[in-house]
Amino acid sequence: MRLIATRLVRQLVLVPVVAVASYFLMAALPLTTESDNKRQVSPELAASYQRDLGIGEPLGFMRPWEKLFAGERLGTSAQGITGDELLQKLSGSVGVGLVALPLALAWAVGFALLRTRWRRGRFAVLGDVLPAIAFGTPVFIPALLLAPAVVERGHLLPELCAAVVIAIWPGTFLGTLVGDALETELSRDYVRTALSKGLDSGTVLRRHVLPNVWPALLDAVTPVATALLAGSFAAERVFGLPYFGQLYVLAVLNKQVAVVVVSTTTFATVLVVVSLTVELLRMLVDPRAREARA
Amino acid sequence: MSRIPLRAWVGLVLLVGLGALSLVAGRLFPEALANTCPLGWDLNRPDRSVCVLAFGGLWVSLAIGLAAGALSTVLGLAVAALARLSGGVTEQVLLRAVDAVFALPDVLVVMVLQLAGQSLMDAGMGGGLGPFGLMVTSLALVGWAGPARMFRDRLATLEGQEYVAAARALGGGGVHILRVHLWPLLRPFVLAVFLSRLPSAILTESTVSFFGIARMEPMSLGRYLGTSYAALIYEGGGRVVIPAWGLLVLLVLGASLASQALGGGTRREV
Repeated sequence: MRLIATRLVRQLVLVPVVAVASYFLMAALPLTTESDNKRQVSPELAASYQRDLGIGEPLGFMRPWEKLFAGERLGTSAQGITGDELLQKLSGSVGVGLVALPLALAWAVGFALLRTRWRRGRFAVLGDVLPAIAFGTPVFIPALLLAPAVVERGHLLPELCAAVVIAIWPGTFLGTLVGDALETELSRDYVRTALSKGLDSGTVLRRHVLPNVWPALLDAVTPVATALLAGSFAAERVFGLPYFGQLYVLAVLNKQVAVVVVSTTTFATVLVVVSLTVELLRMLVDPRAREARA
Repeated sequence: MSRIPLRAWVGLVLLVGLGALSLVAGRLFPEALANTCPLGWDLNRPDRSVCVLAFGGLWVSLAIGLAAGALSTVLGLAVAALARLSGGVTEQVLLRAVDAVFALPDVLVVMVLQLAGQSLMDAGMGGGLGPFGLMVTSLALVGWAGPARMFRDRLATLEGQEYVAAARALGGGGVHILRVHLWPLLRPFVLAVFLSRLPSAILTESTVSFFGIARMEPMSLGRYLGTSYAALIYEGGGRVVIPAWGLLVLLVLGASLASQALGGGTRREV
């Protein structure tokens, strides 16, 4: 329990750090009105930003959060948002991410098995080329290729297409890791011993090999969750989904500084929750992790 | 001297070849490229051919990737060396900071840094940084944590070797051991980590440019794709988007192959 509490404290520290850092970064922005540049803000808007961020007020850095919890609209234009709307948009993005996760895992297992099979044949080069194509393709490219069918002709469900698109990179990443781990474990002595004692290969895989592969898979889940949520930003933009990613991008483009502060911190909180969940799962499935931390 | 794996050669040749091709075709002889481009003209920019935009963008993306990759590798190396030399509480604090930065998603943080940097530049407080410098700095500021963690772990492994213990017993200081005994073994790993940062930086820049937040001039591959994607809606619009995507994939393929092969080579050596 003490180990989990230590980990919890370490992770939770990240949230106020992100909140304070993003607040002071936004508060320090020179939102002046002296230039004719079109990206500059009007005097009214600059004053509104300052009110939004509570600049000059005692405990001003709490101002965006006070407004959010009081149910007031945060932001200075149509892109402003209330706490309920923020949660709704976040649940939309997390929902797309949750649909994408099993898709990524399915693609990972399929790719890992194919890669193991290809390694001994003439298709071995595909084991390198496919990941390179997946890693070299920004999420917005497959989304753009699907966009005419989804947006223009309305043939497919945008949320499902977004999930499929954002699952490609994480699926390939996990597949590469699982493939490598599987190959390493299958070449170990204990597998040969188990097989020579008469156990069938399915049982060896399930009882002996997979428990040693899970930790490698779990180690990769946190970066994959980050990739899924960040990838959903691009997919949401292409497919016109009005969720958290759209909100964030519009907040940055429109210099909705208070919305940026709150959204960044919310995103960091989601990642902390994911990371802690993975840590707990890791301790549950990997006895070595428990012993190493004891 | 250890043999460089064939995969690393393939990757390095691909990277250098793409860079040279882009420099020669896109920068030195753009007219020739424009006149012979079989893909025609861009629908959004009738004055420029698809080839000019794609090869010109490739050069910019490659330059951003190289500069940001190098800067984040140097920053990561400095933090890792500082952590190992300090040890104790300082090392733990630095590692926690590294973990905190590593946990943040690149794209989001780069977006915020771009917003801040552009506001400063608009107000004449950019410190001489143009869009290119701002993008490289933003990418390096979010990209150093991964290399720092990898270098720190590798240094800790190398320090466990007997000859390092012997050097320490003979009175060798931390900086001396790092410079004379550890750096030669760490060098190939540094190159592998640098090459692994290259695609990551290029893709992050592409995504941020796609959102329309970065103001990269001259245009990078990402910004080109981000501003031309509407062509896909039209019949035959793929000719505008697919060449730039293909170049991006080849660039990442080269960097990934070289990085994986060099990283694997160093793992076998140690």
